[in-house]
Amino acid sequence: MTLPHRLMSMLRWIVRRDSAEQDLHDEMQAFVDMAAADRMRDGASPAEARRAAVIDLGGVEQTKERVRSGRHGAWLDDVARDVRYALRTCARNPGFTAVVVITLASGIGANTAIFSLVDTLMLRSLPVREPGQLVELLFKYPRDPRLNMYGWKHYERFRDQNHVFSDLVAMSAEPGHFQVTGPAYGPEVVDGTYVSGNFFEALGLQPAIGHLIGPEESQIGSPRAAVAVITWSYWQRRFNLDPAVLGTRLVVDNVPITIIGVTRPEFFGLQLGMDPPLWMPIALEPRLEQPSRLLDGSALVSVVGHLKRGVTREQAAAEMRVLDRPRLVELEARGHDVQWRSATTDVEPAGAGLSILRDRFASTLRLMMAAVGVLLLLASVNVASMLLARSAARRREMAVRVALGAGRLRVIRQVLTESLLLSTLGGGCGVLLAYFGAHALVTIIGSGRSPVGMPQPLQIPVHLDLPVLAFAAGAAITTTVLSGLVPAWHAFVSAPSSSLREIGTAAETRRWRRFGRGLVVAQVALSVILLSGAALFVRHLTDLRTVGLGFQSQSVLQITLDWSRSGYNREQIGASSRQMLDRMASVAGVRSATFAAMTPISGSGGGQFVNIQGFSESPDDRRRVSLNNVAPKYFETLGTPFIAGRDFAPEDEGGPRVAIVNQAMARYYFGASSPLGRQFTFEGQARPLEIIGVVGDAKYNDVHDTPPRTVYTNAFQGGNRWTFVLRTGMPPMSVVPHLRSVIHDTLPNVAIGRITTLAEQVDASILPERLIAMLSALFGVLAAMLVAIGLYGLLAYTVTRRTNEIGVRIAIGATGRDVIQMVLTSALGLVSAGLIVGVPAALWAKSYAATVLATVAASQAEAPITLPVNPIVPVAIAVIAMVAVALAASYVPARRAMQVDPMAALRCE
Amino acid sequence: MEKLDIPQGTLDLMILTILVREPMHGYGISQRLAVLSHDQFHVNPGSLFPSLYRLEQDGKLKAEWRATANNRRAKYYRLTASGRRQLERHRARWNRVSFAVTSVLEGA
Repeated sequence: MTLPHRLMSMLRWIVRRDSAEQDLHDEMQAFVDMAAADRMRDGASPAEARRAAVIDLGGVEQTKERVRSGRHGAWLDDVARDVRYALRTCARNPGFTAVVVITLASGIGANTAIFSLVDTLMLRSLPVREPGQLVELLFKYPRDPRLNMYGWKHYERFRDQNHVFSDLVAMSAEPGHFQVTGPAYGPEVVDGTYVSGNFFEALGLQPAIGHLIGPEESQIGSPRAAVAVITWSYWQRRFNLDPAVLGTRLVVDNVPITIIGVTRPEFFGLQLGMDPPLWMPIALEPRLEQPSRLLDGSALVSVVGHLKRGVTREQAAAEMRVLDRPRLVELEARGHDVQWRSATTDVEPAGAGLSILRDRFASTLRLMMAAVGVLLLLASVNVASMLLARSAARRREMAVRVALGAGRLRVIRQVLTESLLLSTLGGGCGVLLAYFGAHALVTIIGSGRSPVGMPQPLQIPVHLDLPVLAFAAGAAITTTVLSGLVPAWHAFVSAPSSSLREIGTAAETRRWRRFGRGLVVAQVALSVILLSGAALFVRHLTDLRTVGLGFQSQSVLQITLDWSRSGYNREQIGASSRQMLDRMASVAGVRSATFAAMTPISGSGGGQFVNIQGFSESPDDRRRVSLNNVAPKYFETLGTPFIAGRDFAPEDEGGPRVAIVNQAMARYYFGASSPLGRQFTFEGQARPLEIIGVVGDAKYNDVHDTPPRTVYTNAFQGGNRWTFVLRTGMPPMSVVPHLRSVIHDTLPNVAIGRITTLAEQVDASILPERLIAMLSALFGVLAAMLVAIGLYGLLAYTVTRRTNEIGVRIAIGATGRDVIQMVLTSALGLVSAGLIVGVPAALWAKSYAATVLATVAASQAEAPITLPVNPIVPVAIAVIAMVAVALAASYVPARRAMQVDPMAALRCE
Repeated sequence: MEKLDIPQGTLDLMILTILVREPMHGYGISQRLAVLSHDQFHVNPGSLFPSLYRLEQDGKLKAEWRATANNRRAKYYRLTASGRRQLERHRARWNRVSFAVTSVLEGA
């Protein structure tokens, strides 16, 4: 009872301070009145009695102060007073406060936003039992990303024969799309996942209501298998959280299925980025899929399990390599592909979810984390130098306070309170920035091409939850300490010694000025690192978009048609597509029209082994050639140069099969001799194709790859699923309305599918690089601005301090030019010092940046290209930017210095 | 004769003792203290009021504004149940201390 009481009383003193003060005042007054009345009764005059009574009290204000400081929580009172004072100080200098808060907010916000992604993608544990013990199986085909994708029969073998996992569960490697009709809605398309019977139990997942799928629902052919579990969000969206959902019938692809349970809100599966609402026992697959891929063992599942106690990942991996061997041998035999011999098997931690997204974004996020770390450091240094400059300007005030009896610690506490207040404001704004920033980042990531098997766009659940907010608080505290310590120390050192008379001792001031200059030098150095990094990444991105593509991505429009409701058969689709070409080409603004089975950098594609008479290679060197099936004018439309021979022609239809190859293919198989007229066959086919043309190398399905050996076959000789590709003479999207009406008039039963531009498609494939370039450019510009602010602050302060000196100089004949030169020299001196430190650091950081870019490329490409990373140009750009910033920042102080009126300056002292 | 300073730590005990009879205001407490101590103790209001505020914060006292006999307004303090218990504890301890001190002095 005492403690709450005490707290309440402390709080009352703070919150209802006025009434508490009034109360105290009244009480003192009553005391004096009563004491005076007694004295008057003893015969004293009213004035004398009153005076004696006040003396008796020991002074009204003194007693009040003793009451105040004797109370519990008096310190809280002091803090409140410090905060009030700090608030007043901040409000008095709104410009200064705004700059400091914005600086801190950008530093803290950037860090928090990036960290929230790191937390979501890399750190946060799945809501499962013992996430630390959870691992996934992965295999890696040479130069492919790692995959957790195994045939069902292999999963069963792993599950039954291993000695290293306490449980091993499986779920569909990719969610399926099901047509679902609910009791009062649908049909709608819903993503669903099959799971093994032990899935929910082994992962320790609990239902929100009902029960989850267990072994009893997992007997193939059993009527009890016709069940499903739905996720919380789906329950909310479709059933409004009605508990009567249990036992409800859903019709899934024409099969009636009963809902038996709902998962908890935090459950989304094991793969971040997708959240399929429907979870069904794998035993249901044979009823839903015709033909069933479960029964023939080819249904693909992701395999996850808990390591047994005492078993290490290495031991588990060793056993799995043995167990996985038969599968790899089978794959090699089936595809005649010896590359499978070099495939590797791994066991990786899965406590934070499956690895696909982590593999893809980890290095990008780490790099960004490093960049924002530097930015935070820079912001701290910047704020420190601003606070220092101001505390120097406030020395008179500090000295007055010391002279009036404030203790040294009291003054320091005041300075620290101000730093803390600014950090809190900055942190608050930073979290707000981070909230929008993180969502913007998620949207940008969603705009990229999803990894194979992931939905488009990715659903990444970023929350500013406790760990993230704790991180933001940590960042704010770091900046407080870094930026607040210097001015506090300054106050500590100078406050007690500075009597009013001593202000501005030359030696002391010089020392602090030198320190302030050191801070600006540090800012220049840090921002050179960020700026040169930004220049490097932006340059790299431009290179990726343009260098060695082998086609022109600008002004190209892509359209897919949805024939599913047209009732056309394959031949009709082919014929109609060919007819469409002329119509599309006639649309105003369209320069040429073609179609192709795949367009560049779409992420998909196909390959085949080819056989050429008289050409032999060792089985290890055997690679598939990449395939495309294209209509005439494909190369003209895409801007891929013709090297030799002729293009496909409509007249090839019905004639002997022809093919066009790229230079890489021609060089590999035919060396220096001409491939024109030569023939080849695809593995497993008898009919030869004759090579009629050679085109330049063009990148195939990924910009990070070197152009593979490529064979183009003629779409007029077969094929039926194409994307139309148009080169336009105006912005590509502007021809769309006209194009829609042409398509609608010609093919009224055909719906228009996706319309995109080739440039968008290329951009979607280089999302990590775009993200890096965009963010690093943003951070670089921020850094340059911080330096400008820091430099401006220091120069402005210096000019103010040196007004006398400048006045004297002008008085004895210095010209405006001399004065400007003086200011510029000191600005450029600082920048040069910063560059001396920053440039070597930037060059060193460059190698790290190059490694990251290589990792990013390797995570997506088979044979990653290496774009030259020029170490000099980005640094040179950063240096020039810094000099420009220095000149801009010194403009105003230099002008002010030039306009110093010598008479006024001299009189001032 | 010069007045005595109040021994360290006994002011609270005296305040509680005075207030156990009836609620009283600050000036009254200081007057009563002088009377009860035969004018030996003089309590400085600069010590009295901080003690009163702290005891109130601790929940030993409760304060309210009331009219005095002379029709002035004054802040009256009264003992709470917790204050009563505190008084008993302190008094028991004081009795032991004073007995012990007296014993030592007489034995010497």
